[in-house]
Amino acid sequence: MMLITCSHCGPRAQTEFTYERTVDSVVQPDADPAQAMEQLFTRANPRGLDDELWRHTFGCRAWLVMTRHRVTHQIEAIRAVGPEALP
Amino acid sequence: MTDLSITQLPAARLNVLEIWSNPLAVLDRFKKAFGPPLPPLGSSLQLLDRQLIRYEPTVWLVEGETTGLAEVLGSDGSLTAIGGGIVRVRLSGAGWRSLLMEGGVFDAESETFAAGCSAATVIDHVNVRLLVESDDACLAYVPLSYAHDMIHFWTVAAQSLV
Amino acid sequence: MSGPRRGDDCGSIRFTFDGKELLARPGDTLAAALLANGIGLVARSFKYHRPRGIMAAGVEEPNALVTVGTGGRSEPNTRATDVFVYDGMVARSQNRWPNLAFDVGSVLGLAAKTLPAGFYYKTFFGSAKRWMFYEWFIRRAAGLGDAPSEADPDRFSQRAAFCDVLVVGAGPAGLAAALAAAEAGESVILVEQDSLLTPSLVRDPQELGPAWAQATAVRIRALGGRILLRTTATGYWDDNLITLSERLAEPGEQPPNGTAQRLWHVRAKRVVLATGALERPLAFAHNDRPGVMLSHAVRTYVRRFGVVPGQRVVIATNNDDAYLTAIALRDAGAEVVAVLDTRPAPAGASSGFPVHNDTMPLATKGARHHLREVSARVDGKIVRWQADLLAMSGGFTPVVHLHMQAGGAALNWDEASQSFLPGAARQSVTSIGAAAAADPVGPTPSPENPGKAFIDFQNDVSLGDVDLAWAEGYRSVEHLKRYTTLGMATDQGKTSNMAALGRLAEKQGVAIPEAGLTTFRPPYTPVTMGLLAGRTERDAGAHLRRLALYEVHQAKVPIWQPLGYWKRPRAYPQGTETLAQAALREARGVRQAVGMTDVSTLAKFEVSGPHAAALLELICATTVAKLAVGRGRYTFMLREDGLVFDDGTVWRLGEDRYLLTSSTGGADRMATHISYVRQFLCPQFKVSAVNVQEHYAGIAVAGPQAKAVLAALIGDEPPRHMSTTSATIAGLPVIVLAASYSGERAFEIYVEASQAEPVWAACEAEVIAQGGCLYGMEAMEFLRIEKGHLVVGGEIDGRLTPHELALGGMLNKADGFVGAAGLTRPALTQPGRKQLVGLEALAGTIPEGAMLITAPGQPAEGHVTASGLRVLDGGSIALGQLNDGFARRGELLLASSTTRGQSARVRVVAPHFYDIGGERYRD
Repeated sequence: MMLITCSHCGPRAQTEFTYERTVDSVVQPDADPAQAMEQLFTRANPRGLDDELWRHTFGCRAWLVMTRHRVTHQIEAIRAVGPEALP
Repeated sequence: MTDLSITQLPAARLNVLEIWSNPLAVLDRFKKAFGPPLPPLGSSLQLLDRQLIRYEPTVWLVEGETTGLAEVLGSDGSLTAIGGGIVRVRLSGAGWRSLLMEGGVFDAESETFAAGCSAATVIDHVNVRLLVESDDACLAYVPLSYAHDMIHFWTVAAQSLV
Repeated sequence: MSGPRRGDDCGSIRFTFDGKELLARPGDTLAAALLANGIGLVARSFKYHRPRGIMAAGVEEPNALVTVGTGGRSEPNTRATDVFVYDGMVARSQNRWPNLAFDVGSVLGLAAKTLPAGFYYKTFFGSAKRWMFYEWFIRRAAGLGDAPSEADPDRFSQRAAFCDVLVVGAGPAGLAAALAAAEAGESVILVEQDSLLTPSLVRDPQELGPAWAQATAVRIRALGGRILLRTTATGYWDDNLITLSERLAEPGEQPPNGTAQRLWHVRAKRVVLATGALERPLAFAHNDRPGVMLSHAVRTYVRRFGVVPGQRVVIATNNDDAYLTAIALRDAGAEVVAVLDTRPAPAGASSGFPVHNDTMPLATKGARHHLREVSARVDGKIVRWQADLLAMSGGFTPVVHLHMQAGGAALNWDEASQSFLPGAARQSVTSIGAAAAADPVGPTPSPENPGKAFIDFQNDVSLGDVDLAWAEGYRSVEHLKRYTTLGMATDQGKTSNMAALGRLAEKQGVAIPEAGLTTFRPPYTPVTMGLLAGRTERDAGAHLRRLALYEVHQAKVPIWQPLGYWKRPRAYPQGTETLAQAALREARGVRQAVGMTDVSTLAKFEVSGPHAAALLELICATTVAKLAVGRGRYTFMLREDGLVFDDGTVWRLGEDRYLLTSSTGGADRMATHISYVRQFLCPQFKVSAVNVQEHYAGIAVAGPQAKAVLAALIGDEPPRHMSTTSATIAGLPVIVLAASYSGERAFEIYVEASQAEPVWAACEAEVIAQGGCLYGMEAMEFLRIEKGHLVVGGEIDGRLTPHELALGGMLNKADGFVGAAGLTRPALTQPGRKQLVGLEALAGTIPEGAMLITAPGQPAEGHVTASGLRVLDGGSIALGQLNDGFARRGELLLASSTTRGQSARVRVVAPHFYDIGGERYRD
């Protein structure tokens, strides 16, 4: 179980988070259909670092983009995404 | 540990205050209206007739009065009632920190988790929000559907704390 | 007098082993107490049923597995060396019939030549049916203890802890490390699997003895450190998370405060592994006989437990440590008749024992399950010693399990000690003491008879089996392991893996590190299921969520039904009614008068702000923005791939305020989906979407009299179908939504859940006054099937498009909603895809979950998603999914359920059986 440093809450147990998807699979609502399906179904799936979308679902509920190593679970970078918020 | 008591408090008026735009402007208006700033994530602000507890980047839980808040928000946010679905449980006694480690994953034993601090976490698979009242008491905001089981869980766990 | 014995003080703790009443001293392990009572035969081996005794004094024990406790507290496969005797303990041997001394299964041992490695693979091949037949016998012949048949009455707790330093192992090294960390101001947790600190100082007294250990522990605790005894670090996970299994009571013992075990999740900034080393046995013929023990273990029984396991002792060793055992035995009055040392004679002083250098045991012989004789080849001649104990030492293997579980960790081969030492690690972990270094050893010669030279005692694998696997072409260590089952027993090969690896490397002609290693998997020692399951007093693994109106329902003694995470009333039987009778009465009550039911579990989201409609138009595949204030509509939601995953209703409560409802089972998924769209895709939106699922309790009132009920309750004209209004019932504010899921005129009343009871009571009084009744999930299912309403998880199973669910006409013509792009996929318009159909039985009952086929033996072309009946007229009807179903109306099919052994002839019809024009909704 990883320890994930939430950009808002600091280090918390992985139990509080949910993995949602890889960032390269994100489809913008206004994307061209062919391009959208390409995004959705053709993924890089690297053995190594990848950008992943996680959510601190059972904590502050914020969405996070995590650069995580798929083999070692090492988290290289983490940043919050979402609406503008007060510090 | 015998000096721990687990008490269900009466239903409270609870509202979600969400800011969706111009947070700094809302902060200014809040300070003008109430004095202190809106509390940062992981903490709370106690006013005479209400308490604001921040659990999310753009969301504060307002316990008590909401008068004046709609004006502070203007067109930059809204209030939504959620109190019907939340049960407040007070864990009082010196052992509350140890009790929260039972079935938990959050470091409630840390000294930095002091009076006024808040945290949302998982305890025994249930999403619970915590608010430290003092060294001797902590409030837990528990979803209504889980409250009966959680109170039972804490009551039983308290009996075997060491 | 031969065999194990103890002095005059037999102790005062009473326990039984296989029904025999015995005495033990405080602090005894079961193994020590058995030896003290002269019991050498403790178990039968897994495969050959060979008589086995106690080999070790710690958790590595491969032989002495016993069942401890009775009833729900019974714990099978417990190592006798890892359980401390308490008053009233009941222990039993395993894998024997009719008893330990005379075991019918032991004929398997005589036939061992016919049961070599891979025996099962070679013999029991053929059809699955034949395997099932063989398995019945194999399970009984080769086995461990029986699982308890009753529920465990005790509590199992799970607990988190955070610290700067976790020290695993309270030997001298671990204790010193813990003290140093505590004195440096670090928060410390020190864990020890034994019941006392520094057990090795009891085995090998030094200047710093147990008194030093006690004083150190006091100091660590005074500095705020936590010391946990009877606690094993069982797993090392990501980011320095270590799981600990703590025993608050011994196996089978009634725990003093109700909690038997505690599973700790410790997150440490750094971890110090002072896990010590395990002694390796030597491989020679019949090295598994009771009376053949590890040297360290013998010393432990002598010095710590005051039990001398034998009176005439042969020592076999390849290192110096075993000489300490010889001294301990001599001091305790036993006679060391020979020391067989594989190393050449050293120059210099003699040890004072009869040492034979360059010598390995050849074989042992026994009588009545006891060791009687040890033989060896000395200067080319076979010499025999009468002996009742053989203490052996093949050197020491540092316990690197946790180090390796940490991931990204290296092991370095140490030729001198013939062992792997912990190397660099990715996580913040260091190994110290005997876990980090081992003393040099001499040669370990190959035995003359490898077939009876056991290395994995628990799974009965000999060096001969390793040779056989090699001869049959198994080259990799992973294949060797799987073929021979070596290291796959509950001890995970703690005493056997190095011997097997050495043999394999020898066969391969490579050095040991090149032969490869198998994976070190958690748990380090076996853990009970209860520890992992956690608390046991509830019926499900997780909490079942309670309705706000739980007490109200409970007072009516309903049949409860778990639905998703919820517990909901399925029906409210009256008198002697069965579920089916009650549900049919309730459904007819709705059709003919009025019924009410609890719909509180529906997912509900309050969406407010200038972008509320825009957000909902992204989430819903129907139009939303055109709704007038006070109006609502049916809606459904698509995944990005274009398939329907949920449905519900959306209501415009105010200018910029909407209420969205969706399915109970999909509530959490919908919450995440809404959050994703709002927070991630549209962070610029001025909108607040709040989950109010639990804020509102919901009561549905349905039936021809529903309008009259509502009028009486709110004192006003009720809203038209698909309209909403706010009102007051029992003095409390409510939201009334005029929506129907039953096919009748119906309303949903939402009230703050904490105030739901008076509103429910008022509704119930009015419903009863109008000749109505309560109805549960079962009646609701009958009503919605007949009307052709969809259910998420049934018809809406995440595999169909809106068109295939006959919802295509409601799709938002303007694209831009989530899933619009997915709908353009060509694959979704290919022929042969499933489409929603209705089914009516020509006779009989359509089985739930049946396959739709054209004739017996033909492939399934669809399936029944929900089976019900015509509520007023009778007759079996169903909803289903069928390949190209829209075009097949009128076709006759067979609905066949092989699992239920039922089938019915059905006609494909439209998926509506009741009030097709929807006239009953309208005013």
